[in-house]
Amino acid sequence: METFKVMEIKKSVYEGNDRRAEVLRAELKEGKVFLLNLMSSPGSGKTTTVLRTIEALRDEMRIGVLEADIDSDVDAKTVSDAGTRVIQMHSGGMCHLTADMTRQGLECLGTDGLDFVILENIGNLICTAEADTGASRNAMILSVPEGDDKPLKYPMMFAMVDVLLINKIDAISFFDFDFEAVRERVTRLNPGIRIIPISAKTGEGVAEWAEWIRTEVREWKRA
Amino acid sequence: MHELSVVIEVVKTVEEFAKKNGVTRIDRLVLQIGELSSMIPAYIEECFPCAVDGTTLESTRLEIEILPGNARCRACGKTFNLLENKGACPACGVKDAEILSGREFMIKEIVAC
Repeated sequence: METFKVMEIKKSVYEGNDRRAEVLRAELKEGKVFLLNLMSSPGSGKTTTVLRTIEALRDEMRIGVLEADIDSDVDAKTVSDAGTRVIQMHSGGMCHLTADMTRQGLECLGTDGLDFVILENIGNLICTAEADTGASRNAMILSVPEGDDKPLKYPMMFAMVDVLLINKIDAISFFDFDFEAVRERVTRLNPGIRIIPISAKTGEGVAEWAEWIRTEVREWKRA
Repeated sequence: MHELSVVIEVVKTVEEFAKKNGVTRIDRLVLQIGELSSMIPAYIEECFPCAVDGTTLESTRLEIEILPGNARCRACGKTFNLLENKGACPACGVKDAEILSGREFMIKEIVAC
């Protein structure tokens, strides 16, 4: 007769990724590479924001970009045309990036000589919030056409980021978007969050966003 | 796809555990999923055969236990089930509660043979 033995594991499924993310974060710190995880839904203006960010900071930082998508290389092409070191990552259908995938991306990109890497995560407000990528800071974009109710619908994302960019602010008069309602909803979920209204199209607010990055990089280096 | 990637992660963890503990055959794997977690038990079951294909868990049976999504009302302190009460405290009606359980996704145990 076969004998069965119950063996207790009692382990959170996310624990493995969380641990690997911590290791990656520490290694990046050691190598002085600041990794920004940029999240949002599809079509919020992530790539245009990345281009604006490069424009604003390229004279003072050596920047690299990881473009993560389910398919295509349109984003990497756009960023590469701007003269930045970039690679396109394909998740092959997966809806978020894990710490291991981020590590692979960074290895392919080559972080030697880079100060600042932007990870343009897959356009998704759900599971990208659950998987720690190992980034130094987490940022998200909410664009005006998406509506002011999004913090109510996707609370986890708004609760876990360090900064929220509200993009397409130049188009606010065409939409019923209540900026103050968003501020109130978001700060209830995340009291320490910084909210910066921008327009990646016109450049409005980009200086403030660049200043936020400078300050965070400085503080991260010092910590 | 969301579930598949996570189940693959589960399989990796269990394989590691089995290797470390000298287990070669696993009869059953027990997972615990919170009602408030973003994992849907039916999808987990659906992608499980695919995730274990070619691994030591290939013939392992999957068992899922559901953990309740309980919360404590921030206004009156009552503990209640969030889903059954649609997020509102059954005692005072306030919709502001601190989640106590239900977000978990745990590998509880394996039955080795």
